[in-house]
Amino acid sequence: MDEIRMVREAYGEPAPPTLREMTRARALFTDEAPPRRRRWRLKAGIGLVAVGAAASVAIALTGPGGGGGTPGAPHAQVDLDREAVLAAASKAEQVPAGKYWYSDHITGQSYIMRTKAGTYAIAGAHTEFFRWAGARKGMGEGFWGRDLPARPLTAADEAVWKRDGSPKSFRVWSNDHYYTYTAAATDWKVDRPSAIGGGTFGRLTTRQVHDLPSDPAALAARFLKPKPGDAKGLALNTPRLKVLTVGTLLEELPVSPAVRAGLMRALARQPGIHPIGKVTDLLGRTGVALASDPVRNTATGEFGAPKAEQGTFSSRAVIVFDQKTGALLGQHEELVEPGGPYRAQRPGFVINYVLVRGLGWAESQPKPPARLPF
Amino acid sequence: MTGEPLNGDSPVLEKPVPAPSLHDPERFAEIFDGHFAEIHRYAARRLEDRDAAYDVASQTFLEAFRGRHRFDGSRGTVRSWLYGIATNLIGKHRRTEQRALRARARLGAAPPAEGHADRVNARVSAQGLRGALAGAIAALPDGERDVLLLVALADLSHEEVAAALAIPYGTVGSRLSRARKRLRKALGGTNPMLDLEEDDG
Repeated sequence: MDEIRMVREAYGEPAPPTLREMTRARALFTDEAPPRRRRWRLKAGIGLVAVGAAASVAIALTGPGGGGGTPGAPHAQVDLDREAVLAAASKAEQVPAGKYWYSDHITGQSYIMRTKAGTYAIAGAHTEFFRWAGARKGMGEGFWGRDLPARPLTAADEAVWKRDGSPKSFRVWSNDHYYTYTAAATDWKVDRPSAIGGGTFGRLTTRQVHDLPSDPAALAARFLKPKPGDAKGLALNTPRLKVLTVGTLLEELPVSPAVRAGLMRALARQPGIHPIGKVTDLLGRTGVALASDPVRNTATGEFGAPKAEQGTFSSRAVIVFDQKTGALLGQHEELVEPGGPYRAQRPGFVINYVLVRGLGWAESQPKPPARLPF
Repeated sequence: MTGEPLNGDSPVLEKPVPAPSLHDPERFAEIFDGHFAEIHRYAARRLEDRDAAYDVASQTFLEAFRGRHRFDGSRGTVRSWLYGIATNLIGKHRRTEQRALRARARLGAAPPAEGHADRVNARVSAQGLRGALAGAIAALPDGERDVLLLVALADLSHEEVAAALAIPYGTVGSRLSRARKRLRKALGGTNPMLDLEEDDG
């Protein structure tokens, strides 16, 4: 009897970390610390920040509806802050806490194919997750996942891919080895469903979620400020990490519309976070977005990366909201200064992404959708 | 850069770690890319809890980053160093690990007839860890369990386990030997020859 082998074989195969988890864990130490501010400026700035926040997410109105405003006039701009609050407030009374919270999201990572037909990007590590939980313990919970087909990232990438002969598999460099992604999807797989689960979201119970404040400053203090136990000298509260944090909270927690609006306002007020106007995501949905200050990334050949994958580029985190409802559409990392593996890509190129396909309360036990998103 | 195959069946590459310069955050990021999925897998197998596994894995790299100036390439590889940190952090989640093992111990030894749903679940959960084996692993002294699982799950050599846990080389062998005997006994191993078998694992 070989106990070692028996133990090795008995332990099962767990679900791998999600792209979002990896992005977050990595950002803990890769982000550059924001420039230090003098204390007096922070103190003096509190009142100003509060005033400025109201206008911090402004986007220009375009199209027929905006004809009445003269350029630059205050009413010619829609304030996402206000929009979100109004939309949320109008829904607050209509949206009671339902029975089951669910979240359906897609994650993907861009990889570069360098072929004779040209260079194009594909979405690989392409996965859809569906998670649901009952409002109370004992109502059950489930976590599902399936692989989505790897595919050309955009229409322009698709054109080059067709010239390349429309291959169905893609051999790309991934961190420290070559990996081949294919255009095949897998069926939904469920990860440890629990009939007795429910009642917790992220690390919070339904009660704790219910008790969250809607005040942006209180939410920022709770979620966006360093905690006493946090590591010194690490960039734990960089703008980029704050974008990831708010995106995760909005997706995982069944917060009320008022708290949702509060989280958006809290993020919009943070230094290093900027409104960038309209953004169309990979599912073709247009929303309004906030972005972090960019961070530099460098890949060396230390773990065997080929020349074409080496070099330095900068990127930023972007979070996108539905303009009409304030609903979270997703978040992504986008290229700011091309270089390294993305030297042939343009600013705005999406490096990795989380697309929220569905999110909210349901009256009966939710099921993952059969239809593929792309 | 942040990409990693998410389907979990990519080969875990045995890569020589050429005394990497850990000091630069950007280069440390490559250490992260090369090892995060593997450390996460180790934590997830032991703790069977998504949130706890994420906590352990992310904390492992935070601590490694913080202590990167102290990493001594002559004492072990980056990989064994990371496993050592992760194992210590799992130690702070003993109750989570114990709860998972005790629950599996109660499942009984013989797998029940599996329905379709069970077969689906089996792809991602440890159907094989149950009954007396799970109970015996739960009952091991912490130090013996750490050594056993670093060898069985992380595939570390005795030298690497010694470096990871900062214990003498000889202690690794004796702990592993005792752990194996305990498992054998718990599983009703009656062949006396097995008890005479010298530690070879």
